[in-house]
Amino acid sequence: MEYYSPTDLNEAYALLDKYGEDAIPIAGSTFYMGHREELFDEVEAVINIKQLGLSYIRQDGDGLHIGATTTLNEIFAHGLTRKGPFGILATTVQELNINEVRNMATIGGEVCIAGEVDMPTTLLAYDADIVIGGSKGVRRMSMADFHIGYLNNALEPGEMVLEVQLPQPPANTGGGFAKFERTAADLPIVNVATRISLDDAGVCTDARVVAGAATLSGIPERSGAAEAALLNQVIDAALIEAAAAASADVACINDFRVSAEIRSLWVKCGIEDALKRAFAAARQGEQS
Amino acid sequence: MNAINLKINKEHYDVLVKPHWSLAYVIREKVGLTGTKTGCEMGTCGSCTLLLDGKPVFSCLRMAIDAQGCDIRTIEGVEEENNGELHPLQEAFVQDHGMQCGFCTPGMIIAAKHLLEHNPDPTEQEVREAIGGHLCRCGTYIRIVRSILNAAAVMRAGS
Amino acid sequence: MTTETSVIGKSLPMLDAYEKVTGKLKYAGDMPAHHRMHYAKVLRSPYAHARVVSIDTSAAEALPGVSAVITHQDDITGKQKTCGTPWVDPSFNFRGPMISEEVCFVGDEVAAVSAVDEDVAREALKLIEVEYEELPAVFDLEEAMRADAPQVRPWGPNTLPPSLFEWGDIEQGFAEADMILENRVTMGNQQHAPLDRNACIASWEGDRLSVWTSTQALFWMRDALTDFFDLSPSKVRVYSTPTGGSFGLWWGNNFMFLAAALARKSKRPVRLVLTRDEVQTTVKRRERPLIDVKIGLTKDGRMTAQSFRHILDNGAYGNKFDPYQSVADIYTTEHGRVEFIGVATNLVTAGCMRGVGDLTLAYAIEQTVDMAAEKLDMDPVEFHLMNHWKTGDICHTSQEVVFAKLLFNKNPQVELTSSGLAECITRGADAIDWSNKWKGWGKPSSVEGHKVRGIGMGISTHISGLAFFGFNGITVKVNPDGTMALTTGIGRMGQAGDTTQAMVCAEVMGVELEDINVIDGDSEVCGHTMVTFGSNGMHMVARATKAAAEHAREQLLEYAAKHLEANAADLDIKDRRVFVKGSEERGVTLKELMSTPIYEYLAPPEVIGSASKGVEFEKAGKMMMADFAEVEIDTRTAQMKLLKFVAVHDSGTIVNPAVCENQVAGGYYQSMGFSTTEHLVFDDETGAILNPNFMDYKLMGPLDMPDPEIMFEEVYDEHGPFGAKGIGEGVTCAVPIAISNAVYNAIGARIDPPITPDKILQALKPKT
Repeated sequence: MEYYSPTDLNEAYALLDKYGEDAIPIAGSTFYMGHREELFDEVEAVINIKQLGLSYIRQDGDGLHIGATTTLNEIFAHGLTRKGPFGILATTVQELNINEVRNMATIGGEVCIAGEVDMPTTLLAYDADIVIGGSKGVRRMSMADFHIGYLNNALEPGEMVLEVQLPQPPANTGGGFAKFERTAADLPIVNVATRISLDDAGVCTDARVVAGAATLSGIPERSGAAEAALLNQVIDAALIEAAAAASADVACINDFRVSAEIRSLWVKCGIEDALKRAFAAARQGEQS
Repeated sequence: MNAINLKINKEHYDVLVKPHWSLAYVIREKVGLTGTKTGCEMGTCGSCTLLLDGKPVFSCLRMAIDAQGCDIRTIEGVEEENNGELHPLQEAFVQDHGMQCGFCTPGMIIAAKHLLEHNPDPTEQEVREAIGGHLCRCGTYIRIVRSILNAAAVMRAGS
Repeated sequence: MTTETSVIGKSLPMLDAYEKVTGKLKYAGDMPAHHRMHYAKVLRSPYAHARVVSIDTSAAEALPGVSAVITHQDDITGKQKTCGTPWVDPSFNFRGPMISEEVCFVGDEVAAVSAVDEDVAREALKLIEVEYEELPAVFDLEEAMRADAPQVRPWGPNTLPPSLFEWGDIEQGFAEADMILENRVTMGNQQHAPLDRNACIASWEGDRLSVWTSTQALFWMRDALTDFFDLSPSKVRVYSTPTGGSFGLWWGNNFMFLAAALARKSKRPVRLVLTRDEVQTTVKRRERPLIDVKIGLTKDGRMTAQSFRHILDNGAYGNKFDPYQSVADIYTTEHGRVEFIGVATNLVTAGCMRGVGDLTLAYAIEQTVDMAAEKLDMDPVEFHLMNHWKTGDICHTSQEVVFAKLLFNKNPQVELTSSGLAECITRGADAIDWSNKWKGWGKPSSVEGHKVRGIGMGISTHISGLAFFGFNGITVKVNPDGTMALTTGIGRMGQAGDTTQAMVCAEVMGVELEDINVIDGDSEVCGHTMVTFGSNGMHMVARATKAAAEHAREQLLEYAAKHLEANAADLDIKDRRVFVKGSEERGVTLKELMSTPIYEYLAPPEVIGSASKGVEFEKAGKMMMADFAEVEIDTRTAQMKLLKFVAVHDSGTIVNPAVCENQVAGGYYQSMGFSTTEHLVFDDETGAILNPNFMDYKLMGPLDMPDPEIMFEEVYDEHGPFGAKGIGEGVTCAVPIAISNAVYNAIGARIDPPITPDKILQALKPKT
């Protein structure tokens, strides 16, 4: 096995082209090292992408840009993500009770993995785009299209994730995150991220309701029914409950961890909790 | 094999490593600093925690080859940093029985040391969160938390 | 009777605390490499039951860097009954051949390789070609007991002959009852899950074998090695390192022997370190029980008869056939019947884990008692106070009785030395505010929206060692400066056994704890010491420690008598100084005494105290405990949260309160794990374990539970050194039942461990 630590993108792309599917880009290395036994025979080259200048968080007219190798704790500590419209990012990080992993794991890694991590759920709720680079150029793809299945994404051989972009949400937007685990330091069994935008009259103009970790598809999924229940309505507790109850359109996985029945219940409860938080945050936006 | 140089507790070590070797493995097996423990080798127990450029990380999840040029601090360096005397945290763990078998202790102390360096007066909840990813199978959390809070008080009084 | 003490009763730091906080303590995996040492890896069976039809190791052997490969063809076979008692071997997980042609669980050893490093050894494993013939396997206890069930392992029936205990007249007992309650209980598979992964280094010099490993069974390890390799004990030396927790895992293991076999074949020192998966899935687990309980009661709540059948899952190689300790004696009845049946299954071996037997049987009994109290409409606290076991009662189902019968064909009675159960129950009930929170049967202690709270209690007992664990040979050597070395085989399992033994020694010798060095973990240097399990350290081993110290003290006083021109009988030692009682100014420090020449010999004295003592079994000291839990069930999410927990323990005199508090807390955390998230999940089809690591076998962490309130009821036990009994294992025993009874109080459903959201959800559904 070969190890490379390229210092510019073209060098990294050349390596990715050379090794194709046998190369794995790593940054935080938590996933690769946690699975090194299984991956040992599959990986010929490890390409460390931490020297490529991809650790950053910045805001411009398009919204928020987060470099692929930005760690979860860097996101947590950053002023742009701690409160305001993107405060849900810090909340999402905070729900992972393992400080050491937060110091290592990167947003790019979480995006590529999907599966039993939290960030992709939140990013889908915020209509994030993934910026993908390779020797053939840079392209962008929505989160919704990026994930194909459990631990599977739309990257072509020779490509890597460069950045995650979150569009600036309208005023009076709030986000909410909720999570169910077996113990406080666990894989997420169910995670839920929601986003609500309100108009001046308090009517819901946009809503995202996303459940992750629990889905049969293995990737975060929007509950169309829950979103439809909210849209163009004045939100109150009863409506939130109705929206949560509509979430049965998210099919959940049944395994030895917990049953699909419990996961469906927790998706419902998580949506209710997360929507309440999102609604409160959106209304706070209203007042400010 | 790749020849690398690791800076651990201010000393430099030349070692030959394979890329998939973890930092924990190399520090223990090739450098011989066995105070860093490896309970699960997959980031789920906290025993292998060390400070990498000042931040606590699980060294079982870090490639050794990717730790070149980093400032690595392990439990073996804690006394030395404290002028050869037990760090107040170590002293508190001894006096308050913040352990039974001791296997999780180095990781707990490293995580707590980072906490107290950044938050000298933590609440009990903050202490628990700082060691949230650490397991103590002997279940001595009450006294681990007490040790850390007592050490914090001693350090505040001393500074 | 109590005596004033100066060391006993203080929360003194553990002797090895400094090594632990500095990372200097060497666990087995931290032992430095030997010259020319090679590294071992084990090839394991993917099948729950199969015969190895052929095994081709030629490619592995040809791989550069490989020094040896062993398979069943090496034919290293132990002979039964090596360790001197009939008990040791059967439950030693004895399997005859070190590697068998017939593999009996997923993870069973098929081959082992030693190589220049672990990468090469791992590569070599992939080059071994094995052809298996799959054999029928059985995983379910009751299925395994059927006459037509597949035979789990090459020898013996799956179901061992029952151990039966009867007293009084069980028929009469039930006839006297106004009410009979029957109950059947089973539970999950807990695993010990110490954080440390065991390691072993084996090295041969000619026909002499040395082994370094973390074990709680120094002498059984030695004896098993003599058996496998046909050696005299004089040729085998075992060094036991501290363990990073054990909880019953690190004895009766097979993997340690593989390193010795590889070392012999490769003519090199060989090290084998288990992976986390191997620790979790190939060594041992807590036995899974199937328990039938039947109790009879009078209308006023007196228990008239009790009958239990405790079926123990032995897994592949366990061989338990006897009571796992003797908890049937929580309650005193005139009539009783208890049956223990060990049953083999094609699952990883089951064996002792902290609180073995008592945890599961106490759970079953206490649940049935809770059911009975409900039928009688009696407050559980009141019921317990009326019926519990008392000082001087008989231990009807003691393991000692089994072995007295097996070895000597006698039927002795074992009598309980002390019981503080009544006080434990009363104090615990006060601490959790039982009288206010207990609202009566069918009434949760509180309901707020979808949060329902309930309260529950349970009691248990556990042995403080068992006599047939053997003699304890201890020495105390006094140095020229008055410090001393205590030599004991008790080992260092994290429970501070070395520290508390040294405290006993220091108390007798009139010195400080820091004056004592403990020398342990060397089978050539230490006298035979009981295997460190069954909570025997303080109640049993310390009797010999105390006697050895007293022997040394006698010698010191004799020499001091010469020095002070006094009568030895008039002397005492305090604060490292011998003095004449009544005229304390006449004295000599230990340092002066031990470094001053005596006229007759023209030399200072050498003092070595020693004692080798067996333990008379007919008076048994047991630890007692009453646990109380308050839980909250969220009926919306089907989750359970523990709100408050009170544990009150009678372990006699508490030698080191901080150490004992950590023990009780540890039992609480582990048993909460057993009650909820710690459960090995076996694949129904293959028998493989689906959660072989901490990603999915969830231990309780620092954010998961409230701190328990811990109290000690220090009933002085006349037979224990300074009145002490054991503590290490019983701490787990009453926790699950207190929690489960509290869940019942909250939502009216009996949910057995593991109490999962799925089970809670089913229980909350309206009954149709």
